[in-house]
Amino acid sequence: MSTVLILNLAWQISTLALVALGLAIVFGQLRIMNMAHGEFVMLGAYAPFITSSLGLSPWLQVPVCLITVGSIALLMERSIIRHLYGRMFDSLLATWGIAILMREGVELFFGRGYQSVSPPVSGTVSILGTDYPAYRIVVICIILLGFTALYWWSKTSKIANKIKAMVGNPDLAQAVGINTARLSSGAFVFGCCCAGIAGLLLAPTIRIEPMMGLDYLIRSFFALVVGGLGSLEGLAIGTGVIAGTQTVLGAIASQTYGYLSVLTLSILFLWLKPNGVRSSSR
Amino acid sequence: MTVFLEIEDLTGGYGDATVLFDVTCSLESGQILGVLGRNGVGKSTLARLVQGGLMAHSGDVRLKGRSLTKLPAYARRAVGVGYMPQTSMVFDDLSVYDNLNLGQNKKPLDPYFDLFPRLAERLHQKAGTMSGGERKILAFVRSMIEDTRLIVLDEPSEGVQPENISHMARCIKERASDGAGIILCEQNLTLLREVSDSFLGLDTGRIQLRGTADTLKPEDLREFISL
Repeated sequence: MSTVLILNLAWQISTLALVALGLAIVFGQLRIMNMAHGEFVMLGAYAPFITSSLGLSPWLQVPVCLITVGSIALLMERSIIRHLYGRMFDSLLATWGIAILMREGVELFFGRGYQSVSPPVSGTVSILGTDYPAYRIVVICIILLGFTALYWWSKTSKIANKIKAMVGNPDLAQAVGINTARLSSGAFVFGCCCAGIAGLLLAPTIRIEPMMGLDYLIRSFFALVVGGLGSLEGLAIGTGVIAGTQTVLGAIASQTYGYLSVLTLSILFLWLKPNGVRSSSR
Repeated sequence: MTVFLEIEDLTGGYGDATVLFDVTCSLESGQILGVLGRNGVGKSTLARLVQGGLMAHSGDVRLKGRSLTKLPAYARRAVGVGYMPQTSMVFDDLSVYDNLNLGQNKKPLDPYFDLFPRLAERLHQKAGTMSGGERKILAFVRSMIEDTRLIVLDEPSEGVQPENISHMARCIKERASDGAGIILCEQNLTLLREVSDSFLGLDTGRIQLRGTADTLKPEDLREFISL
């Protein structure tokens, strides 16, 4: 396997893991099938344009992304999602409608055409004699660090335990003093912000347009189907299988075969192992 | 002087179905109220209406003069109402240690580990993998160590070995002697008679028996529960 293929594999797996993380929190923990997840990735990708249109410094792209995505997610949770906990199909329909609204809203402000952003880190780095874009290496490192911190936090934090408690037994969680409405709201906004940050980090490497979110939603969903819900280990396995299969088959055959294999894998998992490789006991 | 806990004309149930009708009673701090009755008479409904898992259709629950009726369960916990449910009483996906440390707890655990050593042995085991009796004990200990003023216990002895039930009785009396008011919904007459200062007998959602440990004879209680 060539160095480029290995690095591409690392890039595809890490970026899919970051994109799917938000969906894993919202779908895996809160059982809300957020069809607008890809639109939050898209909103994050537009953050550089929002920043420049407001005449702000490029250094403020991260706060602008978090404020934009976070406030829309909070508004969405307070007005609609809050009433749909425990109603997965209803949440799917409602968020599908919100996704359309968000796409149309972005199209209204920024137009339908493709946009592009220059990476903040330019040039290439040489790895085992292969030149690879420096920005991608930086993003892979950021994602690795982020996931290590998140894994440590999930094993040691009291808030992580409160989320597990709330998901497993919401009535008892309230009885021990957990404000489940506030915690759900926080988890939903955090999940959407993860999607937004993913979009911001991916922005310099992709074509940005209002319809871009759908592909990220589908691939994230496939990763959760394969890996199972409720654990970071499952998320890692799911993204590894989906992004790995697509990248390797895309390289040795074609992108069509890569995508076809991902679809086939997901259908097989839904049929034969609907809880995925690794899911929590729920 | 303000009464510690006042329940006034409390009526409630599940959705439109009313299960409990016009329950009125009171409790002083440091006292234990035994609520007895067969299955399905409204004991758990009363427990959940006091704890906040269910909202009352009408009536009021006041703790030290403050109405709790409109407060959700987490807010009632914040003002000092603890609860041990009859079913789904632990967090299955969390370890025994995490179950015990999730709430705002202040009491030391060691005395409880001395009484219930299985908990200490299984501290890092997931609660969902424990037996029914062990889960009851875990939920009971959690409700005992919490920093609460009123504790609502819903059938804590169900499925627990007799030796551990007597340990439970000791813990309940100790918490009451610390000043907590306790509502004990039970069918186990031995436990009820050992710890309760007063009794409330429920049948078809209404109070049918009321009295103190001094005024009610053991056979009154036995007859009531076997009706």
